[in-house]
Amino acid sequence: MMKFDTVIIGGGLAGLTCGIRLAKAGQRCAIISSGQSALHFSSGSLDLLNVLPDGTEVDNPLEAVKQMPTLAPSHPYAKIGAERFADLAADAVELLTGAGVAVVGEAVKNHYRLTPVGGLKRTWLSFKGYVTSDKGDALPWKSVALFNAEGFLDFYTQFLSDEMRKMGTECKVHTFNLPALEAIRQNPTEMRSANIARIFDSEETLNQLAEIISREMGDAEAVLLPAVLGVDCRDGVAKLEKRLSRKVAVIATLPPSVPGLQVQTLLRRYFQELGGVYLLGDTATGYKSEGDNITSVYTHNHGDIALKADNYVLATGSYFSQGLVATNGTVVEPLFGVDVAYDKDRNNWYERDMFTAQPYEKFGIETNADFQALRGGKSVNNLYAIGAGLMGFNAVKEGCGAGVSMLTAINVADRILSKR
Amino acid sequence: MTKQFDVIIIGGGATGAGVARDCSLRGIKALLLERGDIATGATGRNHGLLHSGARYAVTDRESAEECIKENMILRRIASHCVEETDGLFISLPEDGLEFQAKFIESCRAAGIRADAIDPKEALLLEPSANPAMIGAVRVPDGAIDPFRLTTANLIDAKMNGAEVLTYHEVLDFLREQERIVGVKVLNRRTGETAEYRAQVVVNAAGIWGHEIAKKAGVTVKMLPAKGALLIFGHRVNNIVINRCRKPADADILVPGDTICLIGTTSSKVPFEECDNMYVTTDEVDLLLREGMKLAPSLEHTRILRAYAGVRPLVASDDDPSGRSVSRGIVVLDHATRDGLEGFITITGGKLMTYRLMGEWTTDLICKKLNISKKCTTADVPLPGSREKEETVSRRMHSIPVAQRESAINRHGELAEKVNVQDAEHRSLVCECEEVSVGEVKYALNELDVHNLVDLRRRTRVGMGTCQGELCACRAAGLMAQVGKYCTHQAKQDLTNFLNERWKGMAPVAWGDTLRESEFTMWLYDGVCGLGNDKTKK
Repeated sequence: MMKFDTVIIGGGLAGLTCGIRLAKAGQRCAIISSGQSALHFSSGSLDLLNVLPDGTEVDNPLEAVKQMPTLAPSHPYAKIGAERFADLAADAVELLTGAGVAVVGEAVKNHYRLTPVGGLKRTWLSFKGYVTSDKGDALPWKSVALFNAEGFLDFYTQFLSDEMRKMGTECKVHTFNLPALEAIRQNPTEMRSANIARIFDSEETLNQLAEIISREMGDAEAVLLPAVLGVDCRDGVAKLEKRLSRKVAVIATLPPSVPGLQVQTLLRRYFQELGGVYLLGDTATGYKSEGDNITSVYTHNHGDIALKADNYVLATGSYFSQGLVATNGTVVEPLFGVDVAYDKDRNNWYERDMFTAQPYEKFGIETNADFQALRGGKSVNNLYAIGAGLMGFNAVKEGCGAGVSMLTAINVADRILSKR
Repeated sequence: MTKQFDVIIIGGGATGAGVARDCSLRGIKALLLERGDIATGATGRNHGLLHSGARYAVTDRESAEECIKENMILRRIASHCVEETDGLFISLPEDGLEFQAKFIESCRAAGIRADAIDPKEALLLEPSANPAMIGAVRVPDGAIDPFRLTTANLIDAKMNGAEVLTYHEVLDFLREQERIVGVKVLNRRTGETAEYRAQVVVNAAGIWGHEIAKKAGVTVKMLPAKGALLIFGHRVNNIVINRCRKPADADILVPGDTICLIGTTSSKVPFEECDNMYVTTDEVDLLLREGMKLAPSLEHTRILRAYAGVRPLVASDDDPSGRSVSRGIVVLDHATRDGLEGFITITGGKLMTYRLMGEWTTDLICKKLNISKKCTTADVPLPGSREKEETVSRRMHSIPVAQRESAINRHGELAEKVNVQDAEHRSLVCECEEVSVGEVKYALNELDVHNLVDLRRRTRVGMGTCQGELCACRAAGLMAQVGKYCTHQAKQDLTNFLNERWKGMAPVAWGDTLRESEFTMWLYDGVCGLGNDKTKK
């Protein structure tokens, strides 16, 4: 038997945030993580609230969230409430900073990030070193030099330069080649973001890149690159800026997301430094309960050795990470079998246009106002649900995925701490 | 100035392509007009089954005989489009063995090899087949890639002087007295209209031939019969599995490339639905239920997508199922039938008999044009099937084996036109289907590709398990790079492509398919922001 204060199932943004908050308060926590999470395709930014459920675009999330109880009573933000929302958002930034994740942005005013295809999209926090703007239709520079690795197909210089030009920023495209790139190019599937990023962990390679850029950048105000400047090395942007004496910024690529991987690593290390136990590559397989309490959880790697805790947190995500599992007529939460809100008629799960809000995205775990999961309509005393698996919101359409994950995580951690 | 041809063919399916090739090989100057991309109608929306004819042996002897003859011809002339898998007709306890005896007798009478084998032996040959079977018959079924087949016919037609215009829709006919002398067309990409003249116009528009005939002022009564199919993410079987009973719903499971297909249903649909058909939940459930009887493991196999085609059957009675209508070929000479000169309708038939349909139509065209050249399409191999794979492979030995083999598999000896000489061109755009940058560029430059969906039909980009998740964006990036379109169009195209994929995934979006859909949506709508793109033109 292993005994903890809290066992968290799921090691993505929500699970890690919750674990860090609890560990920081002195709790002994375990996180069971299969190893994959939505951070692996991060955009380089974290969204809090970009669009209200009625379609209204949001400039100030702190103000807009006040409408949530009327617009969408079952939305996680409606359960949190506007007042607590502001505090939690501030706590989230503090937590990220503590973990060593440098971010820019604030909850009182959304800023804009540059998407991989050259659009500007609202967001809350952007990782430092990314291209951002205060305006939705212009970038902060008149001219930029855009560099891409030769043959890297997951970064779209054509789209980016066209769109930047339309926004009034002159953009010149350059490609670079390096001896280290030649090696990975020999394998037809190797020219992907994480592999390219790894070559820039070497100071020498980064210097070679700096030489090429300084030769070609001309008098462009800023130098832009795909977000592949190192995996272990996290200050590639700063190093280049120093070498070039020029503003340098990166733009997200298609997955895997290098900054996402970096953030996941930083959060995990922080959690572990705080004394947390991170069970990587493990999956929860079963549980035991007594009355309205969960008494233990079992995992694949630990077989019949029970993980026991006072409280349990379900942070397993939605369909992609299998926190929710859909069959051809049901949607279930596979571990505890807690109540899931969904439409019983599969004909109503989808919209024909992929880019309109898909009803299946709002399906999810039902909870009470304290985010305690329900079973047969009755709350389970010591089981909480947080993050993407919750019901009542559309992470993509409302631009609130990261916010829901982090805010519900901190909220639940605080509930657990206040129990004692 | 109006351009003059000997013959104008309306419809870029297998039939139209077959007519164009046959005409060109006989020295007749042909123009083929297709309102969308090639193979978008019934040609690209069926099983891809190289019928042995066995399925029709009991009920339709004539079709069965045509099938087995064409089957043998296609193995010769279109070897790069054909996979010689063989087929099994299995009898389940609920079917009994009564039909089997009649079936074997009818097959043999039609010239189709049909050998009854012990169920145990059948299971050794095809371990995925239902072990409850009480009888099995082995027949020369196979698999055929209809996209490749249509492309190869058009490549040959063009090599012999034909012109092919995709995204050109016939608006009206040009006529002089009781004679069709040409067509007025709309270029759907540019919005421009043009006129083309010819001595003969051929209506080879499949189910849409109904409307084309109407425009010409004649009536061809057709019966649109929808057939829905499911594609599975794994190749469960290596031999075609059929049910040994009278043709019914969902009783054929065909392997093809890395996947397998179950189909079909059959239901009458109104003409309005033919342009945009959705597979219903009921159809999906029925296909799964019946499919599992052929191969029980389908229950746990991931479904990639669902799609439906419309059989261009010529209505003869009001059978609501559309199954008792003959699959026979119908060539209508509107001069003798309706007193309208210069207009021919070719319809009915099936993918298997596309070449024969081309032959009969071209024979009639020759008669009208006083040309006495004989048909050679049964003897001259199609481009891509002119050399043995091993020979081509030996010549391309410097190319890494994965790209070499998938390129040869898809393009036959034309694979040599694919530039994969350097590492950059060998880089993979689509990992599921091993499509390289070089192959994409070849398709963009030489195979009439105007958008991502066209590209998928030529190269299989986005056809694999991920359904275009990452490769779609990579391919769009390449298309923008070679100047196929501007950024605004590229984004529009990406959106269309993803929606086209979603259309097939939505009816089966549960389990892993829903996981994949959610990921795609997060990526393109969330990370890339394509859903609410407000960038300027």
